[in-house]
Amino acid sequence: MDYQELFPVPVEWLQDVDRSMARTVADWADAEVIAGRLEHKEDYDALLLPAMRKLLVDIGLQSMLWPEEMGGGGLGTPDAAMTLAAVIEQVGRADSGIAFVLANTFALQSAFAIEPYKNEALLEHMAPVVCGKDPVIASLILPSYSKDPDAAAFYGLPYQAAAKRDADGWLLSARDARPQCSGAGAYAFGVACAGESDEPMLVLVAPHLRGFSTGEPFKKTGLAASINADITMDGVRAADAQVLLQGTTRMRGMLAWYYTLCAAACSGALLATYDIIKEWGDTRVIKGKGQVFKENPLVASLLGEIGGKMAMGRLLTFNAARLLSAPNLYGPAGSPPVATAATAAFKLAARGAMEAMDNTMELMASAGYATEWNLERYWRDVKTLESCVLPETVAQTDLARHYFDLKEL
Amino acid sequence: MRTIDDFTRPLEYLAPVDKHLGDIVRAWAEREVMPYRRQYDEDWEAHRLIEPAFRSLMGELGFQRMLFPEDVGGWGFGHSGYTATIACRAFEEIARADSGMAVAFGVLFWPLVMICNEPHVNRRLCEELAPMFCDTTAPCFAANAMTEPQGGADIENMEIVGGSTIETTAVLDGDEWVINGHKLWPTNSGGVADLFGVVCTTKAGSRDLDDFAFIFVPAKNPGCTQSGPYQKAGMAADKNGDIWFEDCRVPSWYRAHGPGLDAMYFKEVISFGNMGSTAFVVGALMNVYEILKDFCTEQTYRGKPLKENDDIAGVLADFARDIDICRILAYQCARMIDRPDLYGERWSDEIVAKGRGYKYFACDRAVEDLKKAMNIMGAHGSDRLWDVEKHWRDVKIVQLWMGGKQLCQMEVARWFYECETL
Repeated sequence: MDYQELFPVPVEWLQDVDRSMARTVADWADAEVIAGRLEHKEDYDALLLPAMRKLLVDIGLQSMLWPEEMGGGGLGTPDAAMTLAAVIEQVGRADSGIAFVLANTFALQSAFAIEPYKNEALLEHMAPVVCGKDPVIASLILPSYSKDPDAAAFYGLPYQAAAKRDADGWLLSARDARPQCSGAGAYAFGVACAGESDEPMLVLVAPHLRGFSTGEPFKKTGLAASINADITMDGVRAADAQVLLQGTTRMRGMLAWYYTLCAAACSGALLATYDIIKEWGDTRVIKGKGQVFKENPLVASLLGEIGGKMAMGRLLTFNAARLLSAPNLYGPAGSPPVATAATAAFKLAARGAMEAMDNTMELMASAGYATEWNLERYWRDVKTLESCVLPETVAQTDLARHYFDLKEL
Repeated sequence: MRTIDDFTRPLEYLAPVDKHLGDIVRAWAEREVMPYRRQYDEDWEAHRLIEPAFRSLMGELGFQRMLFPEDVGGWGFGHSGYTATIACRAFEEIARADSGMAVAFGVLFWPLVMICNEPHVNRRLCEELAPMFCDTTAPCFAANAMTEPQGGADIENMEIVGGSTIETTAVLDGDEWVINGHKLWPTNSGGVADLFGVVCTTKAGSRDLDDFAFIFVPAKNPGCTQSGPYQKAGMAADKNGDIWFEDCRVPSWYRAHGPGLDAMYFKEVISFGNMGSTAFVVGALMNVYEILKDFCTEQTYRGKPLKENDDIAGVLADFARDIDICRILAYQCARMIDRPDLYGERWSDEIVAKGRGYKYFACDRAVEDLKKAMNIMGAHGSDRLWDVEKHWRDVKIVQLWMGGKQLCQMEVARWFYECETL
């Protein structure tokens, strides 16, 4: 399927490496996931984990931002935003859960593996693992609602973890903190918390550290590729070197990468949705009127809505990635215009994706919610992603803060 | 303290037994379903957890007898004048716990509506079939075998296709009907149903509604086979599968009413389905109201409970408003079915069209509201520990079943705007 022909994005922003990697990942998607999902459905061990291993290790996605001399792909510049958008979109076409896990992994990596914030010591320290033979995924523990009204907060949204200054670093505490993904399988977590003077910071925490414990995996709507579980930290010690970023601008920059990559995951799910409804519309006949399904005017009106949202979601995603890839033109990722645009792109792409999938399910009726037709898994995934990544009202306030210069919220 | 009982319903419509039956079903749901429902998704095939809850409600409490006349062992609701209103209350209480269970329970009555409801009671068939439901404490399910592989929901689109797309045939051979055909997706298929009401034609390709036949077929009859259930996004308690009829024979008097009447009364089933769907989503929404209220009271944002934030309160207000409106609609729909003397026959195009409108309005609102509820709850919205995501998945299915939204739109447009070619 030539998606560029259908839902074009500005090609001048894509480099050869982006196209090449997207092609490679598209082949992976068809061979390793789509071909096996009728048989294995969403089985983690039989389908998703082997596919992730191929993608992350054999194709080398997990190390693409690492310097070549360390065994990585050498793509640690802001240009990687376009590469990642193109790649994660194709991953999302195969499985939006895997795409979501990658969005977490690369958002965390963006804090220390992308110029101008490259942390050479940390890259070197992690290189043997990230450039090694086992899949390495990461997760974020971001601010969320809390039962404690006095908890330190990032723009009103409480941090899930508290940090206390220790002699040569920090002591982190959290009770049943909810990671964005993969609480039970991540190699590393980026834990958001308040540092000195309540400045936001992101701390790299590994699950083998003393005081770190993982709860039982919990069940959720979708995202089967993410085995998630709540995290408790009882005085987990983190050295200063584990602090990946400090300050509001840097935190917002990391979040801008995260939101953009999550938008790409949604865009990928929409491409898959397109493939499914295209086949349905082409082949289904409304027998009573002898009419090909898509040629019915009411059906066509909904198909038009669906197609429009697909086109817009894709455009928004690649535009947000472009903003991140060209800080010389648009400013740093954490600057209010870029960060806000990334937030808006994600919220609109996710909402558009949900609406398009809801409409697609309406057109397919019972086939829409039957697992056999595969649509419902994307629908569950994108809804999970939409609600997990950023609560709606928090996002709305973030947007209003920038666009309308809010002073108090 | 506000509870779900503060949502409005027209009190003057309620049956005298409303409170009594409602209390029984609510207690059953809280005891037998709500503690276990989070495990239902994994129980979609075996029904090890689901079946005992059905047994308790339908067999032991006896709700599967509701429609049958008293003298054959039933409760006589079919001539109570409150059939739909009572059903509405039961449906919302069951759906508050599990919409899939409410759907399976509701559809049990679809074929029975054809023969147990005044003014078209088929006494002989009531007497014949009542023991299956009334002389047992085991759950007994019925299913409406309607949708077919080639036409899907087109079969329901009788105004336009006039039954011409039905490929399941019934041929009279002496004093028996011989049925052949393939059905898909009926609620309570997948090995569950003991009795099918089969939509078929006595003359393939005919648009004459005299050829539309509704014939009862016990599931154990030779020539009737069922597949296992399909796996789907939600509603594990409602099994759906394929049914094949191969030279399946039943007595000639197993046809519900006969030429013309089968097609006419069949539309009453659609009316009950519309009312039921509206009640299902109201029940689900009411449960999410309870959950949201707890969540938004406990969790804080900007240093205060979520519900005390104006922006979140606005969304919560919309949610409560929609429940209030949809609940009134559900009972209005039931009232219109119960009082043909005031509103016209329940199988009339008007009642069917208006019911379709209520159904898709309530479903559309519910789907949107549940999406917003999940968004408010952030990372917990999609967490199965809160049950909101379950209701979201189930309600989406309620929105799509019975032919989906576009069929509803066409029926509404056809009646209100007197469209002639749609």
